[in-house]
Amino acid sequence: MSKYTLTINQKKQTVDVDSGTPLLWVLRDSLNLTGTKYGCGEGICGSCVVHIDGKAERSCILDVEDVVGNSITTIEGLADKPDHPIFKTWIELEVMQCGYCQPGQIMTLATLLEQNPKPSRKEIDDAMNEVLCRCGTYQRIRKAVAKLVEEK
Amino acid sequence: MKNYDIERHVRGESQFVDDISYPKGLLYAAVCYSDQAHGEIINIDISDVEQVKGIKLILTAKDIPGENQIGGIVPDEELLAEYKVEFIGQPIAIVVADDQLTAKKAARKIKVDIKDLPIITDARKAYEAGKLIVPPRTFNLGNVDDCWKKCDYIIQGTVESGGQEHLYLETQGAFAYPVEGRGIKIISSTQAPTAVQRVTARILNLAMHKIEVDVPRIGGGFGGKEDQATAWAVICALAAYKTKYPVKLILSRQEDMRATGKRHPYTSDFKIGLNKKKKIIGYEVTFYQNAGAAADLSPAILERTLFHCTNSYYIPNVKATAYSCKTNLPPNTAFRGFGGPQGMFVIESAMYKAAEKMGIDTSEIQNANLIKENDEFPYGQKAENCNALITWKRAEAKYSIKKTKDDIKKFNDKNDMYKKGIAFIPICFGISFTNTSMNQASALVHVYTDGSVSVSTAAVEMGQGVNEKIRQIATETLSINIDRIKTETTNTTRIANTSPTAASSAADLNGKATEQACNNILERLKKSAAEILNLKAVKNIEIKNEIVYHNGKRTKLSWNELVKQTNLKRVNLSSHSFYATPNIYFDREKEKGNPFAYHVYGTAIIEVTVDCLRGIYKFDSVKVVHDFGKSFNPIIDRGQAEGAIVQGLGWMTIEEVMHDENARLLTDSLSTYKVPDMHFTPEIEIEFLKNVENPMGIFKSKAIGEPPFMYGIGGYFAIMNALKAFRPNADFKISSPITPEKVLLNLHSKIDEPVTA
Repeated sequence: MSKYTLTINQKKQTVDVDSGTPLLWVLRDSLNLTGTKYGCGEGICGSCVVHIDGKAERSCILDVEDVVGNSITTIEGLADKPDHPIFKTWIELEVMQCGYCQPGQIMTLATLLEQNPKPSRKEIDDAMNEVLCRCGTYQRIRKAVAKLVEEK
Repeated sequence: MKNYDIERHVRGESQFVDDISYPKGLLYAAVCYSDQAHGEIINIDISDVEQVKGIKLILTAKDIPGENQIGGIVPDEELLAEYKVEFIGQPIAIVVADDQLTAKKAARKIKVDIKDLPIITDARKAYEAGKLIVPPRTFNLGNVDDCWKKCDYIIQGTVESGGQEHLYLETQGAFAYPVEGRGIKIISSTQAPTAVQRVTARILNLAMHKIEVDVPRIGGGFGGKEDQATAWAVICALAAYKTKYPVKLILSRQEDMRATGKRHPYTSDFKIGLNKKKKIIGYEVTFYQNAGAAADLSPAILERTLFHCTNSYYIPNVKATAYSCKTNLPPNTAFRGFGGPQGMFVIESAMYKAAEKMGIDTSEIQNANLIKENDEFPYGQKAENCNALITWKRAEAKYSIKKTKDDIKKFNDKNDMYKKGIAFIPICFGISFTNTSMNQASALVHVYTDGSVSVSTAAVEMGQGVNEKIRQIATETLSINIDRIKTETTNTTRIANTSPTAASSAADLNGKATEQACNNILERLKKSAAEILNLKAVKNIEIKNEIVYHNGKRTKLSWNELVKQTNLKRVNLSSHSFYATPNIYFDREKEKGNPFAYHVYGTAIIEVTVDCLRGIYKFDSVKVVHDFGKSFNPIIDRGQAEGAIVQGLGWMTIEEVMHDENARLLTDSLSTYKVPDMHFTPEIEIEFLKNVENPMGIFKSKAIGEPPFMYGIGGYFAIMNALKAFRPNADFKISSPITPEKVLLNLHSKIDEPVTA
């Protein structure tokens, strides 16, 4: 076990874990930030997406020692702004079904819109294609993103 | 009216099993699985593991205090294999340790000596070897044997349909802890809390009242957590019972994929006969269901295959036989549609092949045979309030089908390497558990003295929006603000003897029970209001928008005041109510009856473009007219339909479950098993069939979870239609999923020699 100091949601937090522990489990088990979900453990499904210095990254394949010194934002950090337009639109259009993948969807979209406030339909599909939803809410995600873009 | 959970979901605040804070002293369980598909257990050696630091306990079959049996319909499945293993991924031993990694490492170090026995993975081979899970079933209508001479065309063939991984994004898991009096409380990600309770009681040799099961919500189920959530919950309970500490087990994705069953693959033979007027005269079909190594829910799924073997069509002479074949794969299980899709795929294939032989469009045969009012299904029930033809006609008109077909023809004439295809797919799905006794539910409604309301039912929220529907039912029945109503977790101490949340029926059954419970309280409140207002008669009193009205006139009595005063008058503000679907029965001796409360109908038109050089395809559109009954939550219902369609298309096209010759799953991760993603998802347009009220459904609506899944079958035939445009004379095999690889083989291999039409 080693101590690592991480900057999570703009707060410095020190955790005592084995080197090589994926960030996902540090967030969930050590820091009780359970909004970030485990889905596949191989960086494919996207349920575990967090922001590392503003970029969407998969926390299940990031070792804890590799994110020391970076600014990490989780869904809980995004939720500090309760009126975030994504939340408002997601709630309005009732995008989600079981909800499990949705923190990953929302975190992925947040960086897309940050970098590209007016993405085209193809750019939306390309970015959101990286996050799986087994309930199949894709069509509604598409509509919600289009609405968000339109309102910008 | 918003999905109750959404506000918490978007912020990552809603809790799934693995998100709950656990009590002190939590231990972790890990499972030692069989890595051989069939064999006798000679020895289980735990000596390398016992002394490892952090290991608390190792459990094998002999440590089970009660009966080592988790089978539901048939008692044929051990929790922990004792003498014999029958599939790769079968649990043999449990390791309990201070942390997850220690437990997992130790579970892998347990040495199990297994003497190999022959492996069967193919349903037909199992059938030939006489390995059946239950005796075969046959449904008969008319007289098939005599009907063939009346046919102008007779077509025979074989149809294969593949399995499907549930891939709920929340993997299987549970957590259990000891409670006072040697009892156990379990938090489980299950669609069937009572199954978990019953099996835990059996394994621990305890009364069911000692076991409490609570389900907060689940991160997707799709049937995969109906029967197969049980083992993991029971493992936690057994470990918690033995160690007297809380124990958690959450499967990794790979463990989950390897150890749990999937949608049943089927292989089937059909014979279909038609006359020159395109009427189907006879249909004979034999289904071989690949059940895997234990019964699980296979017998019930097999039955539903038979119920839906003629899909949305009336066929006067039918003989359908189904065999549930035992193989050395993990027990296959419930998956949205529950055997219905497999049955429907075969009749659709038969019609496709018949159309090919007759040189006409499949849709002409489909249209000519749609079931009408009072036509008889092969199981004896008559079609009532039948909307098959009306959805078909509406779809044809609304989606300008003539023009679409012309456009496709023009496109195909112009393009050599890209071909478009189109298919119609009507659906008809019966609503009710086909096991009549399961069509029951209860609700417990409390009105608290501050006017807030709590509702418990047997329904498990898994994304289908049942909690929101239940809240709507309570808010409309009591005529109070929806913010006053909270749906509780699903818990066996509040609601006993629950039927699983399955068969699309949770909103109907639990909703009706909730409506009754609310009405019971409402009647008491009205009586109380009459007394408070010094009125003699109760009958002219009503509550509207939280205010008591008398003879249509507003009084000063508000909901809050009424509730408070009613409580002071010592009147019961709680109600437990029970609902059982009326007028349904099924006689399994005769294979006839009235098993369904009602049927759901609809028609979809699916278009696809196939890249004939690369074998890849893209669905251009799915256009639907669906019979939702009188939907009381169109947003939820539309979402369910969209999601089911995507999942159905996935099953038919890109999702391929593969095993090697040793029955080892090759597609055991998301890098080897592909599910629909954003790029895969076409534009889905859905029209709600108008002016339809369903007298048997809650608030006159219709169940929605499963029926639209079967629109996905149209995806298969749209692709076939495109392949036909590229290679008009080829006699393509019917084998789903039609992956891009199979598309290429169909288009360019010499296996399918052109046949003369």
